Amino acid sequence: MFEFFLHLSPLIGINIILAVSLNLINGICGQFSLGHAGFWAVGAYTGAAYSVYGALPLPDELNLIISCGLGFIAACVAGLIIGVPCLRLRGDYLAIATLGFGEIIRIVIMNTDAIGGPRGFSGIPKWTNLFWVSLFVVITVVIIANILRGTHGRAIISIREDEIAADSMGIYTFKYKTLAFVIGAGFAGLAGSLYAHYTQFLHPNGFSFMFSVIILLMIILGGLGSITGSIVGAIILTLMPEVLRFMGETVSQWRMVIYSVLLIALMLLRPGGIFGKHEFNPLTLFKKKGEEA
Amino acid sequence: MSEDTMYFFWDLGQYLINGLTQGSIYALVALGYTMVYGIIKLINFAHGEFYMIGAFIGYYIILAGVPLYLAFPIAMLGSGLIAVIIERLVYRPIRHAGRIPALITALGISLFFQYLGQMLIGADPKAFPAAIEEKTYIFGEIMITNIQVIILVATFVLMVVLWWLVNHTRIGKAMRATSYNHDAAELMGIDTNKIISFTFFIGAALAGAAGVLVGMYYTTVEPMMGLIPGLKAFIAAVLGGIGIIPGAVLGGLTLGVAENLVVGFWVSTYRDAVAFAILIIILLIKPAGILGKNRKEKV
Amino acid sequence: MSTPILETKAITMRFGGLTAVDNFSLKIGKTDLIGVIGPNGAGKTTIFNMITGIYEPTEGIVELNGENIVGNRPAFITQKGIARTFQNIRLFKDLSVIDNIRLAGHFRVDYGLVASIFRTKKFHAEEKRLEDEAMELLKIFGLEKKKDHLAKNLPYGEQRRLEIARALGTKPSVLLLDEPAAGMNPNETKELTKLIRWVRDKFQIAILLIEHDMKLVMEVCETIYVVDHGVQIAHGVPSEIQNNPKVIEAYLGTDAE
Repeated sequence: MFEFFLHLSPLIGINIILAVSLNLINGICGQFSLGHAGFWAVGAYTGAAYSVYGALPLPDELNLIISCGLGFIAACVAGLIIGVPCLRLRGDYLAIATLGFGEIIRIVIMNTDAIGGPRGFSGIPKWTNLFWVSLFVVITVVIIANILRGTHGRAIISIREDEIAADSMGIYTFKYKTLAFVIGAGFAGLAGSLYAHYTQFLHPNGFSFMFSVIILLMIILGGLGSITGSIVGAIILTLMPEVLRFMGETVSQWRMVIYSVLLIALMLLRPGGIFGKHEFNPLTLFKKKGEEA
Repeated sequence: MSEDTMYFFWDLGQYLINGLTQGSIYALVALGYTMVYGIIKLINFAHGEFYMIGAFIGYYIILAGVPLYLAFPIAMLGSGLIAVIIERLVYRPIRHAGRIPALITALGISLFFQYLGQMLIGADPKAFPAAIEEKTYIFGEIMITNIQVIILVATFVLMVVLWWLVNHTRIGKAMRATSYNHDAAELMGIDTNKIISFTFFIGAALAGAAGVLVGMYYTTVEPMMGLIPGLKAFIAAVLGGIGIIPGAVLGGLTLGVAENLVVGFWVSTYRDAVAFAILIIILLIKPAGILGKNRKEKV
Repeated sequence: MSTPILETKAITMRFGGLTAVDNFSLKIGKTDLIGVIGPNGAGKTTIFNMITGIYEPTEGIVELNGENIVGNRPAFITQKGIARTFQNIRLFKDLSVIDNIRLAGHFRVDYGLVASIFRTKKFHAEEKRLEDEAMELLKIFGLEKKKDHLAKNLPYGEQRRLEIARALGTKPSVLLLDEPAAGMNPNETKELTKLIRWVRDKFQIAILLIEHDMKLVMEVCETIYVVDHGVQIAHGVPSEIQNNPKVIEAYLGTDAE
């Protein structure tokens, strides 16, 4: 039991980083992204490519930090490339566009032979352990929490609250949307590199759109916009399959069905409660009221 | 004309035929997306699952010995009814909670059917029973099968019926009114809930028909089969202009042809990337789609 | 009239075939209090949206201190000195009262993202300044005791006041108020009349306000522009406007429903 938990806890940490970083984009900035698995993949493959092909003759710990840093940077760049065109879109259109980009990333990986293509990428050294994961979780949470309690963070939140009002307060909304998107992508990349050096094997199918949905479920479960909520959500959803496994083979097999029912029930029972009062696209809220032209 | 150019044109013709067949399937599924979006502004992520459900209903009843011409309406009816139940139980209560909660709910429904299907039927692909014998006609270097002909004809017939339904019947008029202005339609005495249910029914029935057609065409069916075609049909709907019925047809055919040209002349592994790339380009250049009008946001 | 601080020169806004505002010109001096009135749907808010950059006028220019500002982002125009409120109150509802005001000072803050992550001295100094300035404004508007309440939990009248305070937090030279009396009872409207005058005197800024309630405008404004169907039909001091037959017709025509 203890060993089993020891195996699981790095995964919990990695999922916490993923959930908190997605929450920065979806819950805190209000930009609905469904492409988080794509940034995770960019980080994972970049970090793994470094350690497989170009690792410097340094201690493992330092190499892990470097590969995480590279994963972070690569995902930031991907976030910038995807964010700048996509963030002009709103609401469900943004969701679909990011989903599309996430899938394109996966298909490109699938077609790149040097990183394993459809066979998967193996031979990655096992550098990640509980200590490093914990450290990176703390760093991620502290950095994001500190940003949020400063003027840049407030600007990011103001976009979720009311983009037009934010603009009228002299806040360059597009800049801050992009900032939130890029930082969120970056931390997903970091989580990716940690993941690569923990499982030692990557397969493009592990980074499908379905995983973006699972991260989304974590932050919805915890409460959109709440960092502590994301942490709790990530812990629950990482442990759930294992808990279900204890409840017997049948229950465990049905876990994806259970997840989906959970997702629907959450939305039906607390559609307003979890989201608070605000809509993601403040414009749609006001559109209906039929103001004077 | 040199031999190379000749072959280029033969190839082109073949890819066009294949593309139109594929595109017809996309168009049938895209119609449901576009009708539902037009009426309640919901991207019904689960729409691809009605296509999967239609395919499986077709699979089981053809296995049971029901002839093909009966299998079609039964599969359409089955998908349509399931869609109506889902609309009543899930989408209706969530309708006023905002667009993002509704989108997430639709995602949930999609996952539910995919994994429920895996649990009940098994994840492995099933061989679709050959309801009719496949025949291949050859024109020069172009091959066309009788199944492709059936797909093209069935799609055409269904679209004509839909066109008639929407433009020349009372219920079609009510659908257009509800889509144009929900509240005004309600005030005019239209039971909008009924109209919305009916729209889901029609959309899912068309997807169900597409499911049976695709089962015949590719000869296998599996529970996850709705995911990618569902997304692509959505892309087709956006491409043509979401909410616009002829747009879905145009978008579906365009996407089918574009994909087959890329697969034919370039690399097959990028087939799915083409669709997403088209989606992103259209969203960035003309988010309202080919036939759509750009609208200014009010403040 | 003193030299204008804000001037619109024949601005026109067309949406497709519809002309919402046609050739509208106005001049505002340094501490003027000017009203734009007109029946609902006359195009008043569109004029505001063109001045603040939410819409780009189809024709015409908007000059702030003699400089054309057409084509700029709303955020840039705010930074240049035009602040506004909204007809239907657009506060940051789930943020605290003080955070709403702090956001108005955002573009003047002088520390970077890195300073914010590492909590540097400069970060603390700037945040202190931001807080002090915000508190000062809250005191002026009598909201200091509610600084930690969520904006959405304030009563309606206080939300209106907070929105004006927030606009002033950007330190504007021109303040645009979009139907500030909408939804207020006569008592609150009276208070508001006083407040608007007082804000002008205290902050020494120009104020341009939109109303369809004639009474408030007549009481508070020194110059009034009347628009109907996007066209300016009259312009002058309140007493002239009151007796202008065109204005009476425009109002009777729509209010008599």
